[in-house]
This record gives sequence, structure tokens and C-alpha cells, in this order.
Amino acid sequence: MNSFFNNFFWFVEGIFVCLIFIGFKRWMKNRGVRMTIWKWILFAAWLFLSGFTIAFITTSIGEGEDRAALMGGIIFGIITIVSGVGIWRALNIKGKVSNER
Amino acid sequence: MVNKNSCSGLDRRDFLKISGAAGAVLGTIGIGIFGYESGKDPLTYTGCEGLQGIAQNFNRGRFTIDGPPHERVGPTERADARSEVIFSRFSRLMRQWNDEKGIEGLDDVLKKYYKDHPEDLEIDLEIRREIFPKRMSDWRKYYKQFILAEAWSDAMGSVWPPGIHEAPEKSDFPRGPRYGEPRKPYKMKSAEKTSRLIKEMAHRFGAALVGITRLNPDWVYKYPMPGRGFDPEKRIEVPSHWEYAIVVATPMSWDPMYANPNYGTSHDAYSKSRIVAYRLAAFIKKLGYPARPHTPGTDYDLMVPPIMIDAGLGEQGRHSVVITPELGCNVRPAVVTTNLPMKTDKPIKFGVEEFCKSCKICAENCPSGAISSGDKVVVRGYRRYALHSSKCHNFWYSNLGNMGCRICIAVCPYTRKSNWIHKTALNITANDPTGISHRILTMLQKKFYSGPDPKDYYIPSLGGKNASYRKPPWWLRTEDFIEI
Repeated sequence: MNSFFNNFFWFVEGIFVCLIFIGFKRWMKNRGVRMTIWKWILFAAWLFLSGFTIAFITTSIGEGEDRAALMGGIIFGIITIVSGVGIWRALNIKGKVSNER
Repeated sequence: MVNKNSCSGLDRRDFLKISGAAGAVLGTIGIGIFGYESGKDPLTYTGCEGLQGIAQNFNRGRFTIDGPPHERVGPTERADARSEVIFSRFSRLMRQWNDEKGIEGLDDVLKKYYKDHPEDLEIDLEIRREIFPKRMSDWRKYYKQFILAEAWSDAMGSVWPPGIHEAPEKSDFPRGPRYGEPRKPYKMKSAEKTSRLIKEMAHRFGAALVGITRLNPDWVYKYPMPGRGFDPEKRIEVPSHWEYAIVVATPMSWDPMYANPNYGTSHDAYSKSRIVAYRLAAFIKKLGYPARPHTPGTDYDLMVPPIMIDAGLGEQGRHSVVITPELGCNVRPAVVTTNLPMKTDKPIKFGVEEFCKSCKICAENCPSGAISSGDKVVVRGYRRYALHSSKCHNFWYSNLGNMGCRICIAVCPYTRKSNWIHKTALNITANDPTGISHRILTMLQKKFYSGPDPKDYYIPSLGGKNASYRKPPWWLRTEDFIEI
């Protein structure tokens, strides 16, 4: 990737990450979940792990290492899903929707 | 309505104002940095991206050591190139061997070597007795598959500055004004500036990596390689003007390198490193100082890997190849010896020694068994990993495609492309004194990047399948371009 697209990519990616955080905050508020600093850290770590898994798979495919993509997808994918479920429970996200808008 | 924050006393409007102002300032700074970086980005010199030292991007400063990088354990001895370098020994053996006379028909040099290393004689003779005939027979059956690989390799090796066949006292020195070279050396302003200049020039001549060290005489051959201007049977006296060694290195093309042993070639990087070294020698002579290139394929008066380590370019791996932080062991080096005063580089330790102790991937994947899974051994007074060069050399003739093997280079965890996955792994291992990450990453490497069974790399007549570590790139697949 040339340097312009590299820089531009991270600029756009940064906007997307901001939108994810803003959206997540609003969603949690609607569901009546009070976000503490530790919950935010957990969420950010899980977001990083998800990004890592996707990037590992696609980078390995681009590199021509199909086996690495498959193995990485399975191992990191399982870790991502299991930790996602754990964080979901840790955040105590229930079906209840708050009246506060 | 104003929402007062009880802790900070900041209302929402103030917060937004401050955030907006901070965002504007940081954004402006960011745009400024982006613009500056875009303007000076070396990648914008289209077509010259590789000639600016961009590849040499590992921060060595944090990993330098003050002591010697080699473990000296006793009196040292210099290598005898006539018998200890496999290329010299093998060609000498082929010229002299007679089945009837046996070892007694060899000259004193070979006789002594094979009496000291009797197992090597059988292995060296195996090429002539078994491997050559089988290879010829398989070549006729399968060579068409490798037409493009061979053509590419030969083309890359076709630009090859002629060798130096004169002794150092004659060939190394500037020839005077008649040849456009000064009679006396120019006085350089400082060793630091000269070092910087030489490194910049080396990069502009095409070197991916460059390092400078004082030449340790232990690395100069005791007796010479043939055709270098020395009396072949006379011990080399290290010339007094070989004070410094400049090491330059270039990588082999990555995709064919992963498709070793059949599709890769050493010729591309050999040719490039050779050209860089000759250009550098010419440049130094123009400054009035002596210079002598020591280059691939076999035009050396010295052993290059330990000099590369002294010059801070990398560490020795279990496979005996030098592992660099930037290119792994996908490097082909050359050396220029000179007395041009320069500031030298320090050797580095970035975790390779510890990593190689537990990794052993190269030993497990070496089809010839030339790489030991055991500990280091003492070689000529230094403790180091030793490669069984006869076994390694035999495999060169036990596969088709281009000459050589290079599987240990392809499978080494350090020989990976410069993407975020492998750069992150490199930085973790380099900074982990516990070795825990080494074991985890080695395990992942074995699971994620495994290759064929090492036996499959052999030709079919020797029990193999003509296998390669990875598929060749599209531009080396003969069957896609030529009717065969």
C-alpha cells in the first residue's frame, strides 16, 4: 500500500472506531447498562481481539499462507467468540430496554 | 439546562468547547505531520524505493553489545579454504579421485582432511557414485517443469562483474591519475562522517543492509580459495590495509525463495551483492584508498558470516546462516576490505541465540540432516552451531530446478515478509528475556506454516516427490506459459 492510502486508511479506520464507541455507548444507555472504566477496557480489548482475528486471517491469505489463515481463523476465532460471550455476560446486557433516550 | 459535573465542575457545553478546541489543535497538528511525512516519504521516489536504505529499519541501538559476539573458548585457527570450504574440496576431489588408488591418490591437503574426517569422504563421493546418475535420469523426465525457473535464475546471474585474480598488493590500490584515481588518499574530515557516507553510498548502489567493522584476522582464510591471486599452497599473510570490513547484503526474491529448493535461486542476490561490492570498492579507490571486494559465488579471501555478525547486521542461527532483524536469513552478503578510516558498528543480540535453542525448525526440515538439533560445538576455537557442509552440498544435487537448496532459509521463522504479523512477532521475541514467547511462537510457526515432509524434497529416484516448500509464483510456472 502506498503511503497516502496507508495514512488515509488509518484516518478512515479511526473514524469508524469512534463511531463504534459512540454507537456502543448509546446502545448500552438504551439497555440501561452503566459502563464503568473496566467495562470500557474490556470492550476495547475485545474490539482489538476481533480486529486482530480478522486482520490475521486476511493478511495470511494475502501472504499466500492459507493454512495459517485457516488455523489462525479457527484458534483466534474461537477465542474471540468465547471471550465475546464472556464479556457480554460481564457487561450484564439484558433484554431490558431503558426508557431513557 | 446546564448539566454540572459534580467532580470537575465542568458543564457539558464547556466540555464540548474544550474537546472541540483540542480536536481542532490536534487535527491541525496531525494534518501538518501527515503533509510533512507525505512530502518526504522515500516511497514517493518512484522506481528508486529500494536504493535509500529503507529496508534497514530495525532499531539496533537498543540491542547492541560491547563485548565480542563470538564465544572464544581456546586457541583459534583460521580456516583452510582448500579443504574446509566444500566447493574447493569437492572440485579438488573430483579432479583427483581414482577408485583404484583411493585416498592415497589424493594430494596432501585432501589426504589430511579426509583422514581427519573419514565420514566426509564417503558423503562427498556419494554425489559421483549415486546422486549424479540418478539426477541425470530424473532431469530428463522432469526438467521441463523448471524451464522458467532456470531461465530466470540464469538471467539474474548474467550480470556478474569479473573476478579479481591479482594479489591484494596489486589489485586493491588505486592505479593513479592515468586511470582517474588519485595518487594519494584524500584526507577525510572524520571517521563518523565517512562511515555515514559509505553507508549511504552502499544503499544507493543497491544494498538492503550495510554494516562496518574492524576485520578480525581470524576470519581470513589460512590458505586461499583458487583464482584470487594468492599462491594456492602458501599461507595468506593478512594484508595490513585490510583494517576495516564493510558488509553489504541484499535479499533473494521472496516468492521464489519460499518455493525452494526447486524454484528459488541464489543468483539474483549474488549478482546484486557482487555489483554493490564492486561499486563500493570503485568508490573507495576514487577517494585514494585501497579496497578489495569479497563476493559471491566463491570469490572470497575470508569467511563472511562472522564478519556480518561483527558488523551488527545479525546473529548466527542454528543453520549457520546469519539471521538479520530485517530480512531474516534471506540475505546474500559481500564484503569490501579497506583501510579507509570509519566509525564501526557494534554487534547486536536480539534474541536469536535463545530462540534457536528451542526452535529447531530448520533442523527438522533439512532434508539432508546437515543441521544439528544438538548444542553448539567448538570450531577452530569458537563455540558455534556447525553445519555439516558435505551433507548439505549433497542435497544440492539431489533436487531439480535451480542449483542449491535454501530450505533452511525459507522455513526459518525469522525469514518472513515485513508485515505487521511478523514484525510484531519479531519485536516480542527480541524483547522477551524469559523465552516464553519463543516457545509459543515456535509452536504457532510449526502449526501455521508447516511444509512438506523433508523426504519429499528429493528427486523421485532418491525417494522424493520434487516438492517445494511453497508453490512457485505464477511467473515461474512453466506449464502456464510453455507447451510441454
